[in-house]
Amino acid sequence: MKKIIQTILFISLGLAGPQWEDESAGLLSPGRHEIGLFSPFRMGLHNGSEISVNKFLLLPSVAYKTNLAQFHKWKMAYRIQVAYPTMAMRWIQSPLGMKLGEPDMFALISPEFTIPQMISVYGELMGTTGAPSDGRLSINGGLGIGLNGKELAQRATVDLPIIYPRLSVYYNGILIKIGGEYFRQVKERWSYVIDYDMFLMPGGRGRFAFEQKGLLVWSKSKKFRLLFGYKLIAGEYPFGSQAHLLPALDLQFGW
Amino acid sequence: MVELISPMIKQLTPIKFILIFGIIFSSCEPIVNKFDDIEGAVMYRANNIVDVGAQNTVKVMTWNIRFGVARLRFFGDGCGDRVVLKESEVLEGLEGLAEKIKQEDPDILLLQEVDVQSKKTGYIDQAQWLLDHTDFNYGAYASMWESQVILADGLGRVNTGNLILSKWKLENAERYQLPLRGDQDALTKYFYLRRNAIKAKVAMPGKPFYAVNTHLTAFATDDTKQKHIDAFKAILDGIAAEGGYFIAGGDLNEIPPNASKLDYCLDDQCKGESFHEYGIDKGDTHKEGSYFAPEITWLSSLFKSYTPAIPLDVYGAFETGHFTHSPDDNLQLDRKLDYLWTNTTWINGTTHQEATELSDHIPVSATWVIP
Repeated sequence: MKKIIQTILFISLGLAGPQWEDESAGLLSPGRHEIGLFSPFRMGLHNGSEISVNKFLLLPSVAYKTNLAQFHKWKMAYRIQVAYPTMAMRWIQSPLGMKLGEPDMFALISPEFTIPQMISVYGELMGTTGAPSDGRLSINGGLGIGLNGKELAQRATVDLPIIYPRLSVYYNGILIKIGGEYFRQVKERWSYVIDYDMFLMPGGRGRFAFEQKGLLVWSKSKKFRLLFGYKLIAGEYPFGSQAHLLPALDLQFGW
Repeated sequence: MVELISPMIKQLTPIKFILIFGIIFSSCEPIVNKFDDIEGAVMYRANNIVDVGAQNTVKVMTWNIRFGVARLRFFGDGCGDRVVLKESEVLEGLEGLAEKIKQEDPDILLLQEVDVQSKKTGYIDQAQWLLDHTDFNYGAYASMWESQVILADGLGRVNTGNLILSKWKLENAERYQLPLRGDQDALTKYFYLRRNAIKAKVAMPGKPFYAVNTHLTAFATDDTKQKHIDAFKAILDGIAAEGGYFIAGGDLNEIPPNASKLDYCLDDQCKGESFHEYGIDKGDTHKEGSYFAPEITWLSSLFKSYTPAIPLDVYGAFETGHFTHSPDDNLQLDRKLDYLWTNTTWINGTTHQEATELSDHIPVSATWVIP
């Protein structure tokens, strides 16, 4: 059961969000911590920056975000993230520890492939303008680079929404991501988020993915909020193009 | 741009937001296609159409092509360890099939295990590929397994099924759902194969007839295969009752009623497997799909009602010469699973054992004499 839950958590990565401030150029206030069911652990630092760590230990990643000088009405920031996917990708070759044909339940990558040692580095710029009560708009754009010890077989892709674009950097070596988010508080406890991301994957059999997310946010307090809505994904995969609509949910805690 | 977009988004109240969400949600595709009991087949046509006139005889061939991977050691139907084959390997397999098909030059070809969008075979649309690399003009396809993802063994996306190829136009092509296996739990059944029979009217000028193609269950341990045979026969009975003529066939995954060997458990056993451990409480001691004794009479009704391309006496007189299958990379054919039927007359029934290296099944062909 534990392994099944781990699998569901892995597949669910990225279904929810955005985090309280993560898509915007805003930073967590110094000393504040946030974590979500489907979002990483984040912590505001006293030097005007924040760090975040993926709590899913098989897919370790760490990100550092800090402010830049304001550009006209736009608050600016940049974020650098380093991720190590090898353990997670090896794990999804046999999540329940079964062998080929037993059947190897929940395996998303065939165990016939060798997953090499890999890391990715992703850097992005973000800009935010406006206030939550009147509508806060954020835009971001970044570039990811995958560094592989050995070549990863192109046939070993996971041709599913959300996962395919996020792992593409390890197959193609490069990823370009551009996005935006609109956040608006409509009542004291209620707000909504409309978010858009575009993944460009040069060199892959699937070359692009568009993700659009809409979430209603219920904030009980500064310590807890609930996000629910949908994620619409239209993308190209090795088999062709397809659109998906998935539910999105997150429970987030802050202190 | 920001000034343009912001007022529009500000108009988006939570109610409108939920309404838009609902409209979008209604267009979602299911992960697994469960199919209707009877639904239209997927129609294909070759890039170049060459008109063919009426004939007095029609050459018909059936072939389980093992999704074009020849004798490569695929894990699912043998003892291999391959799952996702290279595109070059699949194309090489398809080229071997196309060459044999052109050499035999059938007018109607009943194919089983044709991948049209499967990760394991490089997402090649084999129905279109075969149409464009042989002398056929039209095709009708019915999937037996269509899922956005199979959450096991890294199989990923799958769409594989039965295909009728014809030199004449195919009309009113229908996919008939066969009963699902009765020996599986609900989750496995949801993601498992949904076997079918596909029926199409072949519009040969002035002499239309029906073509029926099927691929019955291989591994069911209950009476599902009997139900499949009954359902297949019911389709043929329906055509005959209306005064129509048919050619039919496929991979029935059943040996003839007069077969001398009924137990293939040890022949099909993979490394680490063990069968026939009688007296030990290990449940079924037979390998799924390899023990035919309890079902040896199940094809009798078809043999009694309709004409086979290889009659039972011909088969009985020279069994090994009419074997059509051997699993995995074993080139020594050891059983007959593939058949052709009609409600009129066949001549020149042939089992093409020279094609052993092109698939784990070999083609059976015959010439149908048009009444």
